Amino acid sequence: MSAIVMDIGYGHFLVLAAVLFLIGVFGCIVRRNALIILMSVELMLNAANMTLLTFARMWSDLSAHTFSLIVIAVAAAEAAVGLAIVVAVFRGRRNVDVDRLTALRH
Amino acid sequence: MKQLAIAIAIILSCAAPRLASAQVAPPEEPTAPTAHVPCDVEAKIAGLFAGYTIDSCEQTLRTNEVLTDPATHEPVLNVTTHKPEHDPTHDQYNVRTHSAAGTRLEIQIEYTGKVFHTTKLLVHSDRIESQGPGMAILFWVFAMAAIGGALFVVTRKNLIAAVMGMVGSFLGIAAIYMMLYAHFLAVVQMLVYAGAIMVLFVFVIMILNRPEDEPVAPSGRAGQVLGGLSILYLVGRLAFILIHVKAPAAAMLAPAATADGHDWGTVKAVGTDLFTGGLFPFEAISILLLVAVVGAIAVARPLVEKAEKDNKDAHTDLGGHA
Repeated sequence: MSAIVMDIGYGHFLVLAAVLFLIGVFGCIVRRNALIILMSVELMLNAANMTLLTFARMWSDLSAHTFSLIVIAVAAAEAAVGLAIVVAVFRGRRNVDVDRLTALRH
Repeated sequence: MKQLAIAIAIILSCAAPRLASAQVAPPEEPTAPTAHVPCDVEAKIAGLFAGYTIDSCEQTLRTNEVLTDPATHEPVLNVTTHKPEHDPTHDQYNVRTHSAAGTRLEIQIEYTGKVFHTTKLLVHSDRIESQGPGMAILFWVFAMAAIGGALFVVTRKNLIAAVMGMVGSFLGIAAIYMMLYAHFLAVVQMLVYAGAIMVLFVFVIMILNRPEDEPVAPSGRAGQVLGGLSILYLVGRLAFILIHVKAPAAAMLAPAATADGHDWGTVKAVGTDLFTGGLFPFEAISILLLVAVVGAIAVARPLVEKAEKDNKDAHTDLGGHA
């Protein structure tokens, strides 16, 4: 038990990333507010980045750092466009509840 | 790939003598493959020997790692020095590592084969040791911050509280990046996420300014069972994958410098990799960001005047908008 607590290895970082990813998945499934869903997506992207950086450290390969940088840039673009869509949806419907966005349901 | 090759060579150089000693003694000495890295203790040794000139510095393993081969106890750092006023061929002082543990390094200074001075050096004392109680405490503190913030995001009804939880989570994640020696990525994480994206979210929440009616989806029994089963499957799948991850032997040792001689994870090292191997993705990202900016403005732009205009000349303009 104390070995698990005191000896920090790669497994700790990977499990932490997996837990963060699962919390993000949980938020995406359970919550109905589009903003919370976007935040959960950001959490999942961060968890994936942490896994990448852990593997980079594990194998002494720096290209995962480049990959993470690109993931961060893509996440920023995704947040900007996603929030713009949320604002546009709110302007038309006065709420951002994804369960009520049923205009495309036939 | 060069870094990977160096890492593999270091692992092999650690493992090869141990493997050889386990078997029957071979007739010739097995030559362990070594990776020559720049001497990063050279500057410290030069400070130790004011008035000496360093002729050569050979180092086969990283200083943050073991400086004495664990199998043979042979020093892997050899420095030859001489006093500049003497003839270098006649007056040589050899600096050898006597013992090394983590960042603490004990070196012996020999003069014509006789040890006359032993001293201790602290190599790379600005870095925390990659193992030990300090690392453990920091890891658990920041991991709890990351997980607690993430739980805040998915449980809070108040959106501002959720965003603040997200910022706490991102700060914890940035600290975890630091522990993984990704200094540059940690700073970028703080700038982009805890700075820019947080401000974006807060702005949108202020614009919407509407409390959430029901935070959790009442999706019915079938939906709940399906969601629970899918999350359980994901947990099992992740656990299965994580159990089978195999770390290399030189696991938590401090990383070596890159092939270009830069420190691991710094702006220089990441920038060199980004602008050589990742140049095309970098350029593509700039186009993506431009498209995202234009798209965000186009989507979020108020359409009131346009709608009024459309209503006004709906009869004449129908064909153009179809």
